[in-house]
Amino acid sequence: MSINNMADPRRQNKIFRYKPPSTEANPTMEDPTPDYMNLLGMIFSMCGLMLKLKWCAWIAVYCSFISFANSRSSEDTKQMMSSFMLSISAVVMSYLQNPQPMSPPW
Amino acid sequence: MRSVMLLVVPALLLLLALPATRGRYNDDFDDGEDLAEFDDNDFAEFEDVSEDQGTETETAPPPPRAAPSVPADEEDDDEATVETEDGQDEFYDGDTQDQDSYSKYDNEEFEGYETKTSPSFKDNTLILREVPAHLQNSWESYYMEILMVTGLLAYIMNYIIGKNKNSRLAQAWFNSHRELLESNFALVGDDGTNKEATSTGKLNQENEHIYNLWCSGRVCCEGMLIQLKFLKRQDLLNVLARMMRPVCDQVQIKVTLNEDDMDTFVFALGTKKAMARMQKEMQDLSEFCSDKPKSGAKYGVPEYLTILTEMGEVTDGLMDSKMVHYITNHAEKIESIHFSDQFSGPKVMQEDGQPLKLPDTKKTLLFTFNVPGMGNTSPKDMEQLLPLMNMVIYSVDKIKKLRLNREGKQKADKNRARVEENFLKQTHAQRQEAAQTRREEKKRAEKERIMSEEDPERQRRMEEASQRRDQKKLEKKQMKMKQIKVKAM
Repeated sequence: MSINNMADPRRQNKIFRYKPPSTEANPTMEDPTPDYMNLLGMIFSMCGLMLKLKWCAWIAVYCSFISFANSRSSEDTKQMMSSFMLSISAVVMSYLQNPQPMSPPW
Repeated sequence: MRSVMLLVVPALLLLLALPATRGRYNDDFDDGEDLAEFDDNDFAEFEDVSEDQGTETETAPPPPRAAPSVPADEEDDDEATVETEDGQDEFYDGDTQDQDSYSKYDNEEFEGYETKTSPSFKDNTLILREVPAHLQNSWESYYMEILMVTGLLAYIMNYIIGKNKNSRLAQAWFNSHRELLESNFALVGDDGTNKEATSTGKLNQENEHIYNLWCSGRVCCEGMLIQLKFLKRQDLLNVLARMMRPVCDQVQIKVTLNEDDMDTFVFALGTKKAMARMQKEMQDLSEFCSDKPKSGAKYGVPEYLTILTEMGEVTDGLMDSKMVHYITNHAEKIESIHFSDQFSGPKVMQEDGQPLKLPDTKKTLLFTFNVPGMGNTSPKDMEQLLPLMNMVIYSVDKIKKLRLNREGKQKADKNRARVEENFLKQTHAQRQEAAQTRREEKKRAEKERIMSEEDPERQRRMEEASQRRDQKKLEKKQMKMKQIKVKAM
């Protein structure tokens, strides 16, 4: 018995490789926040650009930041960068067209 | 003396003219009104102003001020005073000049009366507009923008701080568990990308808040996947939401077993909430453990932990003294423990009814532990999870040895057969439907082909061919029915 307790439980021949569980049921289980925030960010930045609303553009910047913070490492950076650039360009364009400061809604 | 006289006369004239101008429309004041009319014209622009009695007193001091600026005129006036008419004209000139100087000193003259005089002036001449905010050289008007940028900076700061904290917690956990894992598993740390199976010896970062570790190469199990599911400390929104509703960091361990490593049973133990949720969500628990969760107090475990089991015998076999000891000592850290040979994950919601085949099952042991600290964990707290890892290893070894007796085995086999039959029954109708629709589709396609044939000859021939085929099928079916009837008899 003591020999059994001291025996090394490791078995080199029983090694199985890691298979990332990427295909099965992941869309339902994984957190949808980064995708939603990405979409929201794009919508708000388009609104801000087209309708020349400054607050829309600022919310778009926030959305793209939140999406970046919640993103998985497997997601490609191009998507993140493009949403960042879009939201920042929305802010810049709104201010170029109308340099007045933003007025609060109250 | 003469200069004083000269000054007094226009003043007197002013004093006379002012009431006269008021009475302009009154016929009683016709005589001697030539002067007054002149006065009216001269003083017409001061008409509104002259209505104030106070302004009359003001006219006295300005003339002395005006006097030094009109010395030359006075000298002319001296000569002119002999003839009153001319003198008066010149007085008038002087008056007008004085009036001009009055108009020059308008602002000073009416200093104390701005409130009354300013409307008339402003109505006619000055309209003040506000300078647009973006042209003012002040940053204060941009306060909303400054607020926004400050918010963004705060978010970025929180991101960096949260990311670092999570990373430190993960590293602390790994450092405290490394020895135990390396002594038990041949492969510690694998991300699946290397060609050879070598231990990476470090955690695999999936997210800023989720870390994975895959261990393999041991007796009694295929492999063990450890997931450190931390709170989203890098997201400021999440941090604020957690202030309302405190949540724990969690460590999830999933041990997959070979076919011969585990006997056939389903068992779960955990907090009441977790058990209630899992019984509804998990496919195997809902099918095999249909009883309500029982309190663990019967087995010596704290009463807030409840047990779901397929058979009582399983619980008795599992809850030996060492296990009870482990669980009792670390009860507050245990969220759920789930042993199952029919594990297939949570119930999959399909849109088109039930799935057509049973989901794949795998013999699995699942452990979910709460990290102490309720969100405010420090790296030192991660060491407290080490005994729980010992429990995991102990369970793996124990499960390998645990075998149901004959009765238990029969019961378990019956349960599984029952579940499979139910499943087939439920899907049978669906499978029939699917086959029916397929057959109908084929027929329809054929008919369409026949209809689309232009040549009537060909059409007829194709129709005949399909009719013959249908007849053949009918005959076959009839033969089958006859055979079955014969067999039954």
